[in-house]
Amino acid sequence: MKIGLFVPCYVDALYPEVGVSTWRLLRSLGLDVDYPERQTCCGQPMGNAGFEHMAEPLARQFDELFAPYDYVVAPSASCAAYVRCFHPNLMKERTCEAAGKTMDIVEFLHDVVKVDSLPAHFPHKVSVHNSCHGVRELGLSSPSERNVPRYNKIIDLLKLVDGIEVVEPERPDECCGFGGMFAVEEKAVSRRMGMDKVRRHMATGAEYVTGPDSSCLMHMQGIAEKEQLPIKFIHVAQILSAGL
Amino acid sequence: MSSREEILQRLRKNTRETYEQPDLSQLKPITYADPVAEFIKNTTTIAGARLIEMQEGDDLETVISQAYPDAQGSVGVIHGDIGVAENACVWIPQTMEDRSVCFASEQLVVVLSRQAIVNNMHEAYARIAASQTYFKEYKFGTFISGPSKTADIEGALVYGAQAARAVTVVLK
Amino acid sequence: MSTKHSKAAEAYQQQPDVVERHDNTFFGVRQKRDRMAQMLPEWEDLRNAASQIKKHTVTHLADYLEQFEQQATSNGVHVHWAKDAEEYNRIVYDILSSHGVKKVVKSKSMLTEECHLNENLEAKGIEVVETDLGERILQLMKLAPSHIVMPALHVHREDIGKCFREKGLMDNPTLSGYAAKPADENDPTFLTYVARMHLRQQFMEADAGMTGANFGIAATGDIVVCTNEGNADMSTAIPKLHIVSMGIEKLIPDYASMAVFQRLLARNGTGQETTVYTSHFRGPRPGGEMHIVLVDNGRSDILGNEEHWQTLKCMRCGACMNTCPVYRRSAGYSYTYFIPGPIGVNLGMLRDPKKYSDNVSACTLCCSCDNVCPVKVDLSSQVYRWRQQLDSLGKADPMKKTMSRGMSLLFNHPKLYTGALRLSPIVNWVPGFVIQSGLNPWAYGHQMMRFPKKSFHELWKEEKV
Repeated sequence: MKIGLFVPCYVDALYPEVGVSTWRLLRSLGLDVDYPERQTCCGQPMGNAGFEHMAEPLARQFDELFAPYDYVVAPSASCAAYVRCFHPNLMKERTCEAAGKTMDIVEFLHDVVKVDSLPAHFPHKVSVHNSCHGVRELGLSSPSERNVPRYNKIIDLLKLVDGIEVVEPERPDECCGFGGMFAVEEKAVSRRMGMDKVRRHMATGAEYVTGPDSSCLMHMQGIAEKEQLPIKFIHVAQILSAGL
Repeated sequence: MSSREEILQRLRKNTRETYEQPDLSQLKPITYADPVAEFIKNTTTIAGARLIEMQEGDDLETVISQAYPDAQGSVGVIHGDIGVAENACVWIPQTMEDRSVCFASEQLVVVLSRQAIVNNMHEAYARIAASQTYFKEYKFGTFISGPSKTADIEGALVYGAQAARAVTVVLK
Repeated sequence: MSTKHSKAAEAYQQQPDVVERHDNTFFGVRQKRDRMAQMLPEWEDLRNAASQIKKHTVTHLADYLEQFEQQATSNGVHVHWAKDAEEYNRIVYDILSSHGVKKVVKSKSMLTEECHLNENLEAKGIEVVETDLGERILQLMKLAPSHIVMPALHVHREDIGKCFREKGLMDNPTLSGYAAKPADENDPTFLTYVARMHLRQQFMEADAGMTGANFGIAATGDIVVCTNEGNADMSTAIPKLHIVSMGIEKLIPDYASMAVFQRLLARNGTGQETTVYTSHFRGPRPGGEMHIVLVDNGRSDILGNEEHWQTLKCMRCGACMNTCPVYRRSAGYSYTYFIPGPIGVNLGMLRDPKKYSDNVSACTLCCSCDNVCPVKVDLSSQVYRWRQQLDSLGKADPMKKTMSRGMSLLFNHPKLYTGALRLSPIVNWVPGFVIQSGLNPWAYGHQMMRFPKKSFHELWKEEKV
């Protein structure tokens, strides 16, 4: 199977190490991974802000660029979710092929590759941040609102890492308050939500907060740093690839 | 055109796609190994009522007067036809001309037969729908689960909001 | 640029303890709902059934309304049809005035709030007494509701006590029966008792009782009213004239459907297995009169709205606002529509998109609401769709539009994009006072991110990946 790596715009610009970790992780599993360079953004920021039509050319571009691949894998739950859930509607003139094959790295490793061991070593206590789009659009974990069997793909993968201690905060899948432009338009509530989430992560005693979405981590990290709180943030892909 | 006609016409015009009624017989609502025990438990816990089980040979009048020795304020006695285990509801069809006894009484006694207890609201409503007597003489019926309550002030639970301040279910 | 919601919410954040209390109170109700959901193995099937029943009913609504009217009429009920709020208010006033009604007691009805019934009747000299405790408190204190089910939860006991004293409720002679003076003169149990005795008097003096309807049953003509206090029953057991106000979308087909909804309503709305009272009103009392006013007021138009018709499934349980992290931290008064939270954002836009567009910003699209809604209204997807409308309504935030345009330009031109990436570390050198200035909303709550020297694109090109 041929995998196309999608490194979302803000990961590209701000957290390239997450892209690097994802690449190395996939390669270490013997997978045929490629990075088509003409990629930019999935269009979610514009869509969620109310300018969906600006995301339409991006959806088409994405579909064309990733046509040669069997899977598109991205280290970002919200971006993978936007492609899956919204791209088909953005390009109604033809079928969106990319939607059906785009996955977040966590679900890809868990469901497709079915990873059952990793050489990674990360002897730290981590608090899992269950990003909303991961939970409720991709099904990375069972939503706390529902009466369904409890599961968490992020935790399943993290437990393969040597030395790690994995915990979840209270209100395990409450929103961190980033919400894309929400953080700018409703900055006060966004800040309060982020602060509440950081407090709950810290109450677990964890050293790191980890999750599948750098946007959530970026938001919480910005708040934690401004308040000079001693908690660190790291993407799941970085933990899973530790040592590579 | 009357408003009635206007509304009905607009509804029909605006219906694009229609949906079928689901097959509710496929639903598996909760049932209990011992519905009576569940009803008793829920009556005293979630409903916040007192429950008295009558024994063989007990007289209802005696049981009630023993339960309310002082009989200060009004004690209303009403009869329930169906008890629901899942939520301690008791179906009270109106059988008296003035139904305010169900609501205005400070103390309310609800008399119910053990045999009348069902598992859940689906079973209860099936019985009511099939009844030939309910709503015939008086066009009112109600499910009551314990005394009236409210938590409108700061979320603090208070019994005896408007209607009965205390309820005793007498199970015969 | 900011919306009225964001400004009001920002003001609300200045009292962090109040925010904390409000957030915890309503999350507590969400948790009680969760417990209810976990206790019933058939929970998700119930939600599916409820959604399907409503979809079926609403897409056959004309037929069901005709059946309902026929049944109700044969039970001796007078059925009226109001196409809008104005007609509704007129019909109710006509019924009341033709019966010489001076005082009405009423139980809670969101529909009456939607139509501004109380103000209308009071302007015409009819006294309206709300009998739901929370609503009566708000009425006496002249405050607006902050939530559709627990409207006064944000009001402190001290303020309630003060209001009751000022309005003379404590002077009620029947209060002398109360056992003992409580240690806390604003103890909720005591205040509730004071309200109880006050409202008892109102029930006795009232000439008519008005209720809403949680459900209308087409097969039998019943209307069903669910309360914890029993105030709807008191309102209709004492005065002989009963007027029901019901939105046309409240109909369900039959008793089998009623079981599904009875089981879901309280579990979702307050986290209880049931409301204390589930009352079926099928006809007038002996010697009494019963009227039902069926109200459209935009509902038949909503049915034709392909993107938003599913809001008609809503049973006004409030579960969506209890789970909404934005509602919990901004509270009802931050919203410009009388219904807050996810359903309020959507209903407000359906009522008047230009007037209520300020609430559309109050959402992170976290989708929690979709997962609690007992009838599976696609709330978050609908908010997303409303966002797409804002620009054409002239209500798009200029800053968001500019940012979106800027991003769009970059993302559609990969060479420009990668060029910008190369330059991005310059941001690291922008002086702090510029970053922290009001022009940079990100800096309001965040430390600025440091742009890495090389983006992934650059690392890839240099084969450093």
